[in-house]
Amino acid sequence: MSTHTMTEAELAALLTYNGLSLTPEQVRALLPGAEIFQGLIEKVNAPLPREAELAITFDVEQR
Amino acid sequence: MSDILTVAEAGRRIAAKKLSPVELARAQLARIAELNPKLNAFLLMTEERALADARAAEARQMAGTLRGPLDGIPIAHKDIYNTAGIRTTAHSKLLADNVPIRDAETVRRWADAGTVMLGKLATHEFAFGGPSFDLPWPPARNPWNTDHFTAGSSSGTGAAVAAGLILGGTGSDTGGSIRGPAALCGISGIKPTYGLSSRAGILPLANSLDHAGPMAWTAEDCALLLQGFAGYDPADPASVNRPVANFSADLGKGAKGLRIGVVRHFFEDDHRVSDATLAGINAAMDFYRQEGAEMCEVKLSPMGTYHAPGYLIMITEAFALHAPWLRTRYNDYAEMFRDRVAMAALVTGSDITQAQRQRRVLCQEMAAAMADLDILVTASAPGEAPLIADVPKWTSMEKPSFTMPFNLTGFPAISVCTGFGAGGLPVAMQLVGKPFAETTVFRAAHAYERATQWRRRRPMVG
Repeated sequence: MSTHTMTEAELAALLTYNGLSLTPEQVRALLPGAEIFQGLIEKVNAPLPREAELAITFDVEQR
Repeated sequence: MSDILTVAEAGRRIAAKKLSPVELARAQLARIAELNPKLNAFLLMTEERALADARAAEARQMAGTLRGPLDGIPIAHKDIYNTAGIRTTAHSKLLADNVPIRDAETVRRWADAGTVMLGKLATHEFAFGGPSFDLPWPPARNPWNTDHFTAGSSSGTGAAVAAGLILGGTGSDTGGSIRGPAALCGISGIKPTYGLSSRAGILPLANSLDHAGPMAWTAEDCALLLQGFAGYDPADPASVNRPVANFSADLGKGAKGLRIGVVRHFFEDDHRVSDATLAGINAAMDFYRQEGAEMCEVKLSPMGTYHAPGYLIMITEAFALHAPWLRTRYNDYAEMFRDRVAMAALVTGSDITQAQRQRRVLCQEMAAAMADLDILVTASAPGEAPLIADVPKWTSMEKPSFTMPFNLTGFPAISVCTGFGAGGLPVAMQLVGKPFAETTVFRAAHAYERATQWRRRRPMVG
């Protein structure tokens, strides 16, 4: 579970920003899921070591 | 002992001219007609195609030109696999009338191997949302008890194999969609190494996590079926160009000498499994020890540390693929799919970068943990199948998944039945191998299946 409880207005704004048009009832139905999902987001934002560098994007030795 | 044949046994009988592919196809079609109304495993039966395929196989049988162990074998495809001229719906209203013009590469390779296609199988909508009761077709039911869930998303394949409607079928696995239904339906199902099997022509859910694999009654059958479609395909950007191993080569070698690590904290601490699941895994470990395998315990990051980046990546990749329709036809999706994928709206660019960074660290951790091992063992699912009416919408986020760690890292993993729980439904374990070491995964799974009684019991669909 997340440490921040998202309000219906905050969730509606995010959905609208992403181009989704939901009724107020549909937005309310997402709130319990949003709370759980925020917990997952917090988990991926834990501090990571230097090895987490996304260094696989290109090969520096390439000529 | 069941009278339903495995792929391996049917193949042997066809090769020995003791079994007619046409008679086998007719028997399977009759079984589907009888049992599918209770199971909803098939969305579409392709009788004419099946009989044409079977007649062609029988002609080769008579001429002595059989193409291999899959020639004449009745199969069906999950309804996200494109089939030329045959409706492919993703179990969704959005694609209810979709008829592809060409086969998925995996479908083409199985057809070339001589398989007999019986039809298209139920899935969770677009391989993710389910079980859903607000779609044009009902969800598949578990053959061990039709009030219960099959898991998903390869729900129709799990139900059809367990009930003996097909001898094998295709599944896809983005976070556990092969291994979950295999576990809850009491069959075998393998998610191969990322890049081993082509996804070209399979409707995607999340490209960096999607895998195509077979599901069947036994690990031996999965080895034969995977052989039928594994290998490089330039049409799939993730496909790896390397020689394909003989997956059946080590099936007779037993477990002696295998180095097996048990990730016990996954199923005892991170997500506590049922007593029957725990007992099944412990009994399997006793078996491997007695057979002469070297056993040890392995400690990885908590399962939730794997689950979080996997889930975020899955949801955001799915949103990217479905955004045009989610923005214009939101209400044409079933509630389960649209509500779960809408969570992507909460993810920032920073979050997804962090998820990818974490993925990199976890891939390194998994590779290091397996450096001196052949097999990792953990659970496939928390326990027996729940009632289909009781599956919560947010269940896949609430507790960490046993299967996601191997989608995130790409390692091959198979689910194997380890017995039955108090409710009479199957329980399972998961065996994981090193990348492209499917041959060893099948060896370990086959040794266990051959030594135990679980493959002798089939569900009585009632």
